[in-house]
Amino acid sequence: MNSRKHSAMIVGLSAAMLAGTLAGCGTSTSAAPPTKNISDITIGTLYAGSGAYATSSLPEYAGLKFWASQADKSGGVFVKALNKKVPIKIVAYNDQSSATTATSLYSQLISVNHVNVLVADFGSVLTSVAVPVAEENKMVLFDQSGTGTTFFTPNNPYIVLTSLPNSGLWPDSLAQYLIGQHYSRVAILYDTNDFDQSQEQTLVSKLKAAGITPVYNSGVPTSTSSYSVLLNNISHANPQAVIEFGYPNNDISFLQALKASGAQYKMVFTVFPGQLPTLFTTSDGPSSINNIYTYPAPPLISHAHVNYGMNSSQFIAAYKKATGQSTNFLNIAGYNTGLIIQKTLETANSLSQLSLRHAVSRFSGTIETLDGKFQINSEGAQTGETLPVGKFTTNSAGKVSVDLLTPLS
Amino acid sequence: MLSSGRTHLRSHRGVNALIPLLLLAAFSLAPLVYANHAVIFQMMAFMVLAQGVNLLYGFTGYLPFGYVGFFGIGAYGMGIGIELFHLPGLAALLVGALFAVVIALILSPLLRLSGAYFAISSLAASEVLYNIVANPALTHITNGPYGESLVQSYHPLTSYVAMVVLLVLTTVLVIVIKNTPFGRALLAIREDPVSAEMAGIAVVRTRTTVWILSALIGGLTGAIFGWHLSVFYPSTVFDLSISILAIVFTLFGGGGTAIGPILGSVVLYGLYNAIGISAPQYFELIYGLLIVLLVLFLPGGVVSLLQRRGSYVP
Repeated sequence: MNSRKHSAMIVGLSAAMLAGTLAGCGTSTSAAPPTKNISDITIGTLYAGSGAYATSSLPEYAGLKFWASQADKSGGVFVKALNKKVPIKIVAYNDQSSATTATSLYSQLISVNHVNVLVADFGSVLTSVAVPVAEENKMVLFDQSGTGTTFFTPNNPYIVLTSLPNSGLWPDSLAQYLIGQHYSRVAILYDTNDFDQSQEQTLVSKLKAAGITPVYNSGVPTSTSSYSVLLNNISHANPQAVIEFGYPNNDISFLQALKASGAQYKMVFTVFPGQLPTLFTTSDGPSSINNIYTYPAPPLISHAHVNYGMNSSQFIAAYKKATGQSTNFLNIAGYNTGLIIQKTLETANSLSQLSLRHAVSRFSGTIETLDGKFQINSEGAQTGETLPVGKFTTNSAGKVSVDLLTPLS
Repeated sequence: MLSSGRTHLRSHRGVNALIPLLLLAAFSLAPLVYANHAVIFQMMAFMVLAQGVNLLYGFTGYLPFGYVGFFGIGAYGMGIGIELFHLPGLAALLVGALFAVVIALILSPLLRLSGAYFAISSLAASEVLYNIVANPALTHITNGPYGESLVQSYHPLTSYVAMVVLLVLTTVLVIVIKNTPFGRALLAIREDPVSAEMAGIAVVRTRTTVWILSALIGGLTGAIFGWHLSVFYPSTVFDLSISILAIVFTLFGGGGTAIGPILGSVVLYGLYNAIGISAPQYFELIYGLLIVLLVLFLPGGVVSLLQRRGSYVP
């Protein structure tokens, strides 16, 4: 009897495990519809609804959704391969800022949802896991803001960086400005991540080429939030210019510590006030970015020769009307990604992924959006945009403005 | 009486043999049923990690919050094997495993601690490992904060097969340990190390052995996972949530058994796949409630329901 019971249990357990494992994986969906039957263009993307990247990912995703809603209002985007306008549908999943979760979600978008266009989440970490998945599945990855130096390789045609230049190019104008101002004593503090350290390397190499060796150059973990001791060390080096490369939270903490220290330098530069000024003014008041140098980005600056999509002022007004929210750079980055996809669909002769990629190469260098000139190199990295150097000033009423100190591309 | 005992023993052997075979069948067939192979791969990875945690926590009572340290080191060891030693992917996995074992040996004094002290110190150790790997001064070895890009060695099918093999072997290992004097010695150490020592069990040697085995499993999982990803940053493979998920899966299923961590991974990762992809906020709520209820009412995990009835649980 006992033996029978055990046998039944073994069989039951086995069946439950096998069924559980397969059911735990979900169910497969049907294959992608043939191109001729396409009734909408499906764009698959991820966003971080929580976690470290949420504050950057959500506005970027909002910009992409805004572009889709604008396109759908006019009946969709023109798809040359179908010779008609087709509505846009976005399929998006929340990766919660986890690269591990993002891996399975990118795979879900490609293999289960069969999206026509794949768009990466914000930043290098959440984009990194999409690069091999997209390449393996021969899907072009529209990389919005993952500027990681390792993503772009000669053998991978399946990636296009849309809304920011490769991070190694960012400090070009900053280096020119420092050299032009004859600052011989430069202090650099950077976070030890791909994004910030690649900027540090570019800046140091350009300064050294001009005969300037930084008097202070130190990397700190990205999780750093206390800068008092670091600022004390920097002050002992007696620099004229202090450059801090970090993420928004680092920049905020750095500027708060600088204010508390009372130290004064001819020039203090941080990255993100130029992209997310409201984040800084609401965190610590408008005075927190007074006289701070930065890379000013749209909508703080406007590109004059926009020949594709809305210009900055049109975008600010339309975005406010549609969402009730004011605009920041990441909204523009998301919208700009949509514009690049739109132009790709207008140009490509077929909806095959390589055809989409070849279309991007064909119009590269010919369009200028509110985000700047769109131009990619042979590896898909964005090279058309440059980031100028600007300086914030805050008047007595708390109004923030920025003066451009190097030319806009 | 004796005959009944032999029947039981045969029956136990049958169940024990069936589990790895079942896993082999399930994960060989799963890609034919479900197109998102990344989900299947990650489910396997978490099953193996849960077994690694199980060896340590389930059998000895040491809760390794920093288990992800072995996982991350395994991934980076594999990366170094490919990038620096120019090894093929499969051979590079062994480098990842070796790195994890060496780190386990270095960190073995942590076993002098117990309870919360061990949990916290293992967490601190994984943070140290993360910061060493991400240090810009080691860019020439680990590529520092720039992360690893191994796209030239990207073999999703081979890495998938490697994970299936590792899962089966790990499960066999846990079953073997559970049913040998070594496993019983571990359980004795978990209950009372002093009494175990007095009963003639070499406590230090036994727990160090299982610590190294657990590190080996974590390192190999990280190595295969990193190979499968092929592009990753330090923050990706040293992500604390990897440790937490592996621990939760073990706790849910039940530690000290071979089936518990598998059951935990299937149910909770399956739940994640069913709810978490479309509505992660509900998933987190359900997940949180489950853990609270489990700790309060079922500390031995789901399998303890069977154990209470006197049933054999592999």
